Order: sequence, then structure tokens, then C-alpha cells
Amino acid sequence: MSGDEMNPAAVAQAVEDIQGDDRWMSQIWRELFSPLHALNFGIGEDTTCNVLWRLQNGELDNIGPKVTVVWVGTNNHEHSAEQVAGGILAIAQLLTSRLPKTKVVVLGLLARGEWPNPLREKNVAVNGFLRTWLPRLGQTQFLDVGAGFVHSDGTISTRDMFDFLHLTAAGYRAIAKPLIDLLLQILEETPEEKRASLV
Amino acid sequence: MHHIANASLTDKVMSSGESNPAATPTPCVDIQGDGRWMTLHNHFVSNSKDKEPDVLFVGDSLVQLLHQFEVWRELFSPLHALNFGVGGDETQHVLWRLSNGELAHISPKVVVLWVGTNNHGHTAEQICGGIMAIVQLIKDKLPKAYTLVLGVLPRGKMPNPLRERNAQVNKLVQEAVSSLPHASLLNVDPGFVHSDSSISHQDLYDYLHLTPQGYQAVCQPLHAHLKGLLEKQAEN
Repeated sequence: MSGDEMNPAAVAQAVEDIQGDDRWMSQIWRELFSPLHALNFGIGEDTTCNVLWRLQNGELDNIGPKVTVVWVGTNNHEHSAEQVAGGILAIAQLLTSRLPKTKVVVLGLLARGEWPNPLREKNVAVNGFLRTWLPRLGQTQFLDVGAGFVHSDGTISTRDMFDFLHLTAAGYRAIAKPLIDLLLQILEETPEEKRASLV
Repeated sequence: MHHIANASLTDKVMSSGESNPAATPTPCVDIQGDGRWMTLHNHFVSNSKDKEPDVLFVGDSLVQLLHQFEVWRELFSPLHALNFGVGGDETQHVLWRLSNGELAHISPKVVVLWVGTNNHGHTAEQICGGIMAIVQLIKDKLPKAYTLVLGVLPRGKMPNPLRERNAQVNKLVQEAVSSLPHASLLNVDPGFVHSDSSISHQDLYDYLHLTPQGYQAVCQPLHAHLKGLLEKQAEN
């Protein structure tokens, strides 16, 4: 199962403005990893469908990043693990076709909730599908940054995820290390360009 | 809602518990599957058993995220503050949490309440009723505490119905607390809406949540006001 019409997680869908203040449509990106000349196109609560819609509707039009980091899937509550992985695959496929020079790094979904629960199992399953499928796509790799968040007693600490979903500063520092190591490696391997190198 | 005597306004918003969903204690149902809301609530209840805060912050994501920024350590930890914020919470959720153990083991001198912006589908009157129900609950459970209600901030990049609703909530709450000795409303909006009616992402990065710069602008006057309140409480 990959990015075809039958997988609802791979159907581009704009977020409906049901709250009334139009904030999702006017979201702009925040700077992350500035020394790497990075742009951040993250939006809280986005599903794979919402990311697909955004990428198909302008966000890739004017840039040529050397690396694109994709991190999405934990909010796809209506979809199965296989569908979610299919949605992520569709995003990776879109990126490699629209941005031929980019290398895609897909981050694994993190564990969530204080104790073991069905969403943790689902996210593990998504990661499992991605590990198998992504290497078959050229220019794409999977990176698991979740090691160490689940302790031996099965719990996640609020020191790493203040609400058992979102990372604290400490949590972000922990995931940044392996990610930046990989990004630097990729950036060193690719020839110099003057525009934004990392999205 | 215009020149109505305070007593009847208070009656109107507070007696509507059964018919006002914003003022009916309601837990969050776990529709996602990892039980995080109840987990956080249980953490807050057990946290409160061995802490003696002078200040309790309670509310939605604007309270919860405050705890993740340097400004918390800088300004509020020294005041012995505790943070019971939960992202997404509406007035009825905060009301449920405070009714079900979060106030059971502590005696803060001041409770800072910041909630209301997530009450989608409720009217400004209902949201005010929810806020006032929380104010009353705090008075019942902590008779000596002062409740500082923070005004709900404007949101969205350009003018929109939620900005109007939030402004109306603040107006109604201001009227409702004006006769109460144990509560007041503090407007913490430093002027986020510019002359062209836009809000800047430098202050609210997604036109709802505060950047570090936005928090500084809100928290400096809040901190000064809190210190004044705590000193007054100490004198009594």
C-alpha cells in the first residue's frame, strides 16, 4: 500500500477551518537549525493528508533544499498503521519527484502516553513499514530518533515529553544529536549551493 | 450585555450550571487512545501532595507551554509556583480537574486562571459563566486564596469572530468580578494587535501560541502584579 487513491492517509487534505480564526492557513514557518540554513514548515496536529496538501499547494515551489526532513504521522487517528506509513511514503515520493536534488530523511514516530498503549504499538508498526519501504525509494532514508524515551518500566518521563507527546527542550536536544549528525554527513556528501540547504 | 446590575449578572452566568456546558464539570474523553489527559490530571493530583506552592497556574496550553520556557524559571519558580496547564482544555475541563483532586492538598495564596480560548461552539456568555464557575469553585475550596483571571488573548492573523468572542468574554468577566474581593481580571495583552489589525508571528508563532518574546511581554507585568498580590496577602 503506497500513496494510491485507496489510502485515505495519502489523500491530500487541507485542514478545515472549523475554529474560525483561520490560523492554520496563515501559519508561517519557524526557523530551526539556523546554522544549517533551515526552514521549518511544521504545523501542530497536521496529519499526512494535511502535509501532502501543503506540499502540493505551493510550499515546494521556490526552494531547492539539499535535505528534507519529514516528521509526521502521530496525529493520523482515523488511519491504520499501514495507511499512515503509506501516507508518509506518498510524501517522500512527492518530494523526490518535485525536488530531484533533495535527500529525504524520514524520522520515526515517537512513543507516546505515559504507559504502554495502543498508539505506541501503532507508531511502532508505522516505523516497521517505513523501515522496509523507504529504502526501496531512491534518495530516502529512515532515522529512528526515539531510542531511550521509553524506560525499562515502560514509562515515558515528563522530563522528555511534558505531556507524554510533545518534547521538552531536553527531549529535543536528545533527538537533535543523531539527526544533526546525519544531516551534516549528507550535507558534506552533496555539492555546495547558495540557497536554503535544509527543509 | 450592557448595564446590568452586577448581582443579577452574576446570577445569570453562574446559575446556568446545568444548561451551560462551559460551566458543567466535564473530563476529557480519551478519543486518541493513550489516556494522556487523565494521566496529566493524576500527575497534578499526586504532585500537589508534596508541594507547597504560593501560586498555582491553571488553564490551557498557554499555561502549560509557559512551563517549558526560560521565563518560568526566571520569574515564577522564585514565587514557588505550580503549573497545572493542559493544552486544549476548555473551562469545563479545568472545572472538572479542580473539582476532582487538583486543589485537595495545596493552599496557594494566589491562583492564576487562564482559560476560555478553546471553548469552541460556546458563546461569550457561556464562556464567562464557565470562568466564573471556576472562580466560585476556587473560593469554596480555598477560602483564603485570591484568583487572578487573565484576559483571553486575541488570535488569528487578521480580525475574525474568535477575536470578537474573546474580547467579549473579557468584558463580561471584568463586569462579573468587579464586585468580588477575592478575584480580579488582569489584561495581559501588551498590544499584540497592530494598527493594521494584524498579529505578528513574532509574538504568536501560529497566531494562537506565544513565542518566547510574546511570553516575556505578557509575563513581566503579570509577575509584577503577582508580587504585589502576594505582598498584600502576606499583610493580611
